[in-house]
Amino acid sequence: MKHLEKIREMKFSGIGRQQVSILLTSVLLGFLIVTQARSFTDVTALVGRDSSADVFREIKILKTTNEKLSNEIKDLEDQLAKTSDSGKALQGIADEIKKYKLLAGRVDVKGPGIELTVNGDLKALWLTDIVNELFNAGAEAVSVNGIRLTDKTVGFDTIPSGQILLNSIILKKPFVFMAIGDKQVLRDALNQPQGILQRLDQSLGGVTIDLKQKDEVRMEKVF
Amino acid sequence: MKLSQFGFLSDCIYNMTMTKLSWRTYFVFVITGIFIGILVTAQVKSSVPSSSFIYDQLAAQKALIKDYVDEQAMLKSKIVALRSQIENNQANIRENSQDNNLEALKELKNDIGLSPLKGAGVEIKLNDGFFVNRDSTDQIDQSLVQASDLRDIVNLLHSAKARAIAINDQRVLASTSISAVGNTIMVNNYHVLPPFDIVAIGEKEMIMPLLNDKSYLPDLHARIAQFKIQFSAEAKNNLSVPIYNGNLNTNFLTEATSDSQ
Repeated sequence: MKHLEKIREMKFSGIGRQQVSILLTSVLLGFLIVTQARSFTDVTALVGRDSSADVFREIKILKTTNEKLSNEIKDLEDQLAKTSDSGKALQGIADEIKKYKLLAGRVDVKGPGIELTVNGDLKALWLTDIVNELFNAGAEAVSVNGIRLTDKTVGFDTIPSGQILLNSIILKKPFVFMAIGDKQVLRDALNQPQGILQRLDQSLGGVTIDLKQKDEVRMEKVF
Repeated sequence: MKLSQFGFLSDCIYNMTMTKLSWRTYFVFVITGIFIGILVTAQVKSSVPSSSFIYDQLAAQKALIKDYVDEQAMLKSKIVALRSQIENNQANIRENSQDNNLEALKELKNDIGLSPLKGAGVEIKLNDGFFVNRDSTDQIDQSLVQASDLRDIVNLLHSAKARAIAINDQRVLASTSISAVGNTIMVNNYHVLPPFDIVAIGEKEMIMPLLNDKSYLPDLHARIAQFKIQFSAEAKNNLSVPIYNGNLNTNFLTEATSDSQ
């Protein structure tokens, strides 16, 4: 209170009443700006980040994943039962080998899926993102320009000339991505609003994109 | 000077109004008044709803997600346990059988990430920027580690012929997806949170130069230089990568024999 009295007694001689008023108004303005900014942050945190669309998508992914994991557990329990039964053990091992050969790229494979052709100057990051999107949508096998991606072949390497290498082979446009899986799910995943194809089109002008559903896609073994 | 009973502020307003002001001062006050009016209106319009319905709904959704994540962790640990039991049983069969298929199976399991791996390699630590709260920051904030950062690093590690990779103990396979839902990053559709611990077993002499070369991962290196995100990479001799704990589906995949064309 003493400070206030002193200020009152100053008679605003040097500074002037108007300037003090402006100062106070500025302080009030600053206070309101900060309050407003904080308010926007709160709203963004509530509505922006945790928007229903994101939360529902997350729930859907988790639900589907858990269903697949439950199915995997059933398969593994069957396998375990076979390994405990001497009469079925060797057959169980043969079945496992057959499945793992499909996944490892040791045999030629086929199945329904999609063929995506992108004609444009793509950088490695786009190839990585497209492949990621295909596996995210449940693709069981993916190839790029005829090279199947397995744990032995992944890794898009950009050489100094700007060309992209995959498995020591230079990838040339058009880039043809093949994926085996649920063809409708794969197509919808690629075509979704703000999905990979829309972002690709928006980011790189002059790119032509052709997406086809296929009843049968074939991929050659890797080695 | 007359002081009103409302104190200093009202006194200032009184002085302001009773004094003959120049047109410039009036102009400043009018503009400032308009700004304050806009801000007050915006504040009222953008205030967080007082109803608890949205909070309740979000809390229920978050609780549901937590339930699913917990269930997923349980299912994955069960998968690891079952694969381990199968492995033990097959090891017993191997001792009592001459079946060559068992060696072939072992090799295939190594190829598709169903065997744990230990060895020399590189450990990368990646974290959001200092003082950044992932829960209250916009998804595109450059101080957050993005799913695309992890994808680019994994791609680089694969290019450097890493034999096995894991992110926060999630084995990364060729078929692994690394995606973002809002600010949440999912590896193999499993929630992973920063700090990210990326382990790559392989030739550290091949991996380290690529990681340190700024022409690779240019965006990441720029953000590291600006202290927006935290990054370190260290060559180590004793690293381990766990087995893949997810599902391996072959619902649509069949062998294509030459006569099936």
